Amino acid sequence: MLDGLKDIIRKSSIHVCLVSTGGCNGCDIEVVALLSPRYDLEQYGIYVTNNPREADVVLVTGAVTEQWRDKLERIFAKVPDPKIVVAIGNCPLSGDVFNQEGGSVYAPVSDYIPVDAEVSGCPPRPTEILAAILSAGPDAIAAKGRQKV
Amino acid sequence: MILPIGPVHPNLKEPLRLKLKTQGERVLSAEIDYGYVHRGIERVMKGKTWQKGIYLSERVCGICSYIHTQTFAETFEKIAGERAPLRAQFLRVLTNELDRIQSHLLANSTYFKCIEHETLFMYMLYLREPVMDAIELLTGNRVNMGWNVVGGVKMDVNQSHLDSIQEIITKLESEFDRYVEMFDHGPMVGLRSHDVGKLTQEEAIKARAVGPIGRASGLKHDLREKHHTYQDNFDFKVIWRKDQDNYARNMNRFDEITESMKLIKQVILNLPEGDVRKKINIPAGYGEWRNEAPRGEVTYSIETNGNLIKNISIRTPSIMNIDACAKYMLKDVATVADAISTYASVDPCIACTERVVIVDESGKSGEYVYPEYKLEYKSE
Repeated sequence: MLDGLKDIIRKSSIHVCLVSTGGCNGCDIEVVALLSPRYDLEQYGIYVTNNPREADVVLVTGAVTEQWRDKLERIFAKVPDPKIVVAIGNCPLSGDVFNQEGGSVYAPVSDYIPVDAEVSGCPPRPTEILAAILSAGPDAIAAKGRQKV
Repeated sequence: MILPIGPVHPNLKEPLRLKLKTQGERVLSAEIDYGYVHRGIERVMKGKTWQKGIYLSERVCGICSYIHTQTFAETFEKIAGERAPLRAQFLRVLTNELDRIQSHLLANSTYFKCIEHETLFMYMLYLREPVMDAIELLTGNRVNMGWNVVGGVKMDVNQSHLDSIQEIITKLESEFDRYVEMFDHGPMVGLRSHDVGKLTQEEAIKARAVGPIGRASGLKHDLREKHHTYQDNFDFKVIWRKDQDNYARNMNRFDEITESMKLIKQVILNLPEGDVRKKINIPAGYGEWRNEAPRGEVTYSIETNGNLIKNISIRTPSIMNIDACAKYMLKDVATVADAISTYASVDPCIACTERVVIVDESGKSGEYVYPEYKLEYKSE
């Protein structure tokens, strides 16, 4: 019964932390647009906190730049269990246009931290980001929570 | 004590480390660490054709992505000694002003979030979404539009697009004054904004502050005045203020939105007929072009051999504005919360700034021009 109760609570209150690891910030402003009254992230029980220590979901946008190579793992370690990672945009998946000769990016993000859901697009639309968080988020968090207990 | 803020912080969309030297709650000075978003984009562009370069230039910055492609295209047009067709120039103005409106609304919304005024933050995002719709209607994308090419714009518009944009702008105009008044006359907003984060005119000149930040400090400088399309076809006035504080910077952006809406109406009214794109033969050469981005002036210097980009240097406004913020505005601020809101009032765009690092061992700080080409093309 306790597990069921925890599931309900975990599913209905998700804290999201946005970590921009070096892209063009197009995905970041689409995440900000999610807060707007039109998309209204909070009606689904999702809150943007940007404090890794409070987060359940880490949104990673951007190819990993030199400075982020060690910091990304450290931030991920600070997030309490159960946690999931959603990679937003092409940059965390492949490095997009920056991953060419001369670019100093070290994509993909999955080399550093485990990624649970991926949204491609440059940048993806806010609705797609929202759909990804909602479809992957609550169930995965609940399932991961049960594994630990 | 040194108080580090960032790189992951609720009020900063982008990663940046702000080191505040504090004494109690009072902030004495500030230092800024860059380098979290350096992707080496100029280096990637070298040796590519302009078709690939313009795609990359859009990814310099997501918020003001439009003006980067326009400046890139106009630099090549300058090298070729030609101009885009008049209809294309008008459409560029239309997109540029729509982009300016959404960028300014986003900047102000970030500021309102920093002063904990959630209501205005939501209102700003509420106003922004229809403008994003207009951009999507016109170009097909919300953020990275892919709208400019060398020699014009990609697609033509038809009357139904223009009517919808006109409708969106009319609706925005009718609602806009109410929100500006909320900011202008709000007593709480006033307490957090007036006389906080002063940047005097001398300091603005010293720090090379540009855009709304410089104009709010009394520097009447807007590159749109010198742009041939604006000069020949449009009436607009440069918004500038003298009160130099956080309030002035936000109010300056609000007034510029009003001015941009007038420009959009002029475009829709006077849009000439004709082609939107023409073929331009690019010779080898060096060109430089400056444009007014939402945050100030953006400069592209490109050297091409007629086909490939040999060298490119991009200078964006945020680097000067953030430095002005760190050096002069965050000097003896009353509280840490005010320091954050002052930083947000500068409208920082980190992806723009992370361009190039020049380390000169002899201690000379030279300007970023390739010396050999500077001599070669000096006569231009």
